[in-house]
Amino acid sequence: MSKSLVCTCEDVTASEVEHAISKGFCDIESVKRFTGFGTGICQGKQCLTAVARLLEQKSPTRPRPEQLAAFTPRPPLFPTEFSYWASASFDPAQAPSGGVPAALDFAEPALRPSAPIKAKAKVVIIGGGIMGLALAWNLAERGETDVVVLEKGYLCAGASGRNGGGIRAQWGTPTLITLARRSQELMKRFARDMGINVWFREGGYLFLAKSDEVVRRIEKSAALHNRHGVPTQIITPDAARDVVPQLTMKGVKAAAWNPKDAVIFPWPFLWGYAQQAQKRGVQVETFTNVQGFELSGGKVKKVITDRGDIACETVVLAAGAWSAEIARLAGVHLPNEPHRHEICSSEPLKPFLGPLVSVLDSGLYFSQSMRGEIVGGMGDPREPAGMNLSSTARFLTRYSQALTEQLPQAGEVKILRQWAGPYDVTPDNSPILGKTKGLENLLHMSGFVGHGFMMAPAVAERMAQWMTTGESDELFERFTLSRFAEGRLEREDMIIG
Amino acid sequence: MPRINPVESPVTIEFEGEQLQARAGEPIAAALIARGELLFSRSAKYHRPRGPFCMSGGCGQCLMRVDGIPNVATCREPVTAGMRIERQNAMPDAGIDLLRANDFVFRDWFNHHEFMAGVPIAEELLLKIARQLSGLGLLPERPAEAREPAVIEHHERVIVGAGAAGLAAARHLTQHDVTYTLFERELHVGGRLISAAEPDQPTPWNAPARLGAEVVGLFNDAGQPFLAVIERGRLHLVFFKKVLLALGGHAMLPTFPNNDLPGVMSGRAVASLIRRHGVLAGQRVACVGEVTEARALADLVKRAGGEPLAIGEEVVRAHGLRAVTAVTTTQSGKVSCDVVATCGALSPAFELARSGSAEVTWNPEQRCFVVQADAHGQTANPAVFVAGEMRGPMASAAAAQQGDAAAAAWVVSR
Repeated sequence: MSKSLVCTCEDVTASEVEHAISKGFCDIESVKRFTGFGTGICQGKQCLTAVARLLEQKSPTRPRPEQLAAFTPRPPLFPTEFSYWASASFDPAQAPSGGVPAALDFAEPALRPSAPIKAKAKVVIIGGGIMGLALAWNLAERGETDVVVLEKGYLCAGASGRNGGGIRAQWGTPTLITLARRSQELMKRFARDMGINVWFREGGYLFLAKSDEVVRRIEKSAALHNRHGVPTQIITPDAARDVVPQLTMKGVKAAAWNPKDAVIFPWPFLWGYAQQAQKRGVQVETFTNVQGFELSGGKVKKVITDRGDIACETVVLAAGAWSAEIARLAGVHLPNEPHRHEICSSEPLKPFLGPLVSVLDSGLYFSQSMRGEIVGGMGDPREPAGMNLSSTARFLTRYSQALTEQLPQAGEVKILRQWAGPYDVTPDNSPILGKTKGLENLLHMSGFVGHGFMMAPAVAERMAQWMTTGESDELFERFTLSRFAEGRLEREDMIIG
Repeated sequence: MPRINPVESPVTIEFEGEQLQARAGEPIAAALIARGELLFSRSAKYHRPRGPFCMSGGCGQCLMRVDGIPNVATCREPVTAGMRIERQNAMPDAGIDLLRANDFVFRDWFNHHEFMAGVPIAEELLLKIARQLSGLGLLPERPAEAREPAVIEHHERVIVGAGAAGLAAARHLTQHDVTYTLFERELHVGGRLISAAEPDQPTPWNAPARLGAEVVGLFNDAGQPFLAVIERGRLHLVFFKKVLLALGGHAMLPTFPNNDLPGVMSGRAVASLIRRHGVLAGQRVACVGEVTEARALADLVKRAGGEPLAIGEEVVRAHGLRAVTAVTTTQSGKVSCDVVATCGALSPAFELARSGSAEVTWNPEQRCFVVQADAHGQTANPAVFVAGEMRGPMASAAAAQQGDAAAAAWVVSR
């Protein structure tokens, strides 16, 4: 067939880009994510200009030059083998800092819609990540459609668009196991409910343990999993190698294996929830910043945005790692701290890796995406708190050394791009949910420490139920903000990355 | 055959199980094109036939498996004796790929977001098929050999790219006894001065340069800017006080039906094959697009023994099943040809500048993204300078002037 190609790496045609534009994706970052253009081997070198020209011509909003912002180039400039990055060294004693700036500002003022915002809504949700959008959809499903979702960037700009897509039930507390299992169920039928594919692939999670302490931890969790119907097994290093034959088992003492864990493609969840919520009357406002709150009588009366004020009855703060800075505008102190987590993606390879593999001792994790890329990261114990989405060579070195030690055949595989996302870290690694003491109608939905994506469908379902019926739910009583002042911590220790 | 000069003392390489002769050191792609081979790979989703487009590592159309390593850019990888080259991503092979059926089933495009979404059984089947079809190339057969530890270097002044702009800067600095380090990813200096079709080009100055040194990143760990450079199989981390980025641009793919057929190549690629590698990509070469470059390319093609046609014309579409057989232009209608060379401006290579916090904006006249800089090429980051096509399409003389101006600023601030 005589197609006109825009992106030859990912086979994206001009018609496909025009379709995305017609669906309302009017900025380059969004068109990139929706069509996949610029995400292949050339990373946009051949196609970015062509897409910008199409947007210039075809977008109904007739973008002005300043609205055509190039997408953020991700290092490296050319695909570069893991073995090269592994050949550098880094100082483990030194805290990482600096880095290649992620986006100069993904809330480009030029992209802010000129139309005024709704002056009044029953519920205002701050944060258009998966938490906020899933909640909006769940509220709409329960008949509450007078809802506005405020997102400061494009959909997928925050951590929901930056994670590795892992979905697991292997948690350390019954609450998270229950939520994760429910989320998995909802994710499995997401395509049916929302009409968009999310590429849910049950490849399992394989946790490797290299120290006695970690072995004891996975044994304890596995017993808990089994009591809750999660079929986690503790297996020997040899059995783990049967799951992924390319792995070396150097230093591995045991592994935890749950074949029912999965990986998904994160972005369509956001589009699916947003589109279906919008169909039911919810307003999703992108490129809109919250600048403050009008408070009176122990309540939030108005949310002040850079597009006007919204009078409301309830405000939900679901801004992930940005939640604390927004809460501060209402005089509320959240203990959440953003922590950068870097991640990278390789060239696409034919399928060879079934599960997501993680070394609990080091925080290394990697899986193979549905497009064939090895996607993975490794948390840095020295990472300081603070919002920083920049990319470092140090990460490439740490990750490449750890990856090629576990998967030596990856040495000549090339890295295509790296980026970073913020973990929203709380003092006890558990979320903050429910009401605010002294500001009754400000509700929290944050603090998910890097696993919010996989919890969101279940948490949002229960939150919407709780909000619309008033039925009591222990989630919104146990995980309140006030627990920190009251000294009731809820520890979770199965955090990776 | 499309070799302009015979190969002296050729080496033997293996391509898809067949032995063939090539010139040691030339890019694999040049060797295959010289043999008349334009079909290099099959595309990701539709399994459309693909061949080299940019010949400069800026697209993904020429990837092959080389000595067991997947996705090697054959336009950049030099030929060595005994090399084993295979096509990837096709069933049973790239010549007759049954998966091309996708291209016919999904006539305009494949809506991967909605296709079979939520349809019981079909959805699961789609997942299985999609996973099997995903990816390009197989995991390397062997673990990588350990590389030499990365080299740490510190330099006062660094120039990236020894094209028209970079060479002019280097010459200016040399004339004023200012030291610098010049990185060039090719094995020769000159950039487009030795590879592109452009009228009235000066002879490039033979600057001392680190050749075969590809800059793959501009990092800023701990607030210390440095370049990551791959040079002769080793990573170098090059710290600098000032850098002049003069990387030029990337070949753009003009949008027309069948613009991805093997044989559709950027004008720069066709010119560089002739000038650098002595290979004429095809006998009948449609030199379409921007007129000045198209005319210069037509001259090159003619001198190489080829037949230029449709010079400077506007393409309506390309024709062909496995490779280009004809092109339709608004002026000439349908004419048969072997190659469609698309002439025109490059897309400025702003990536490293942006990594270095330079401002990148859309230029509505030139309709491309350009790096913002002052008259001396200094960007929003005072340590990062840019010159040449990174600031927008321009002739090599103008690029040289910009390189010169940046160097002049460095001389003053020495």
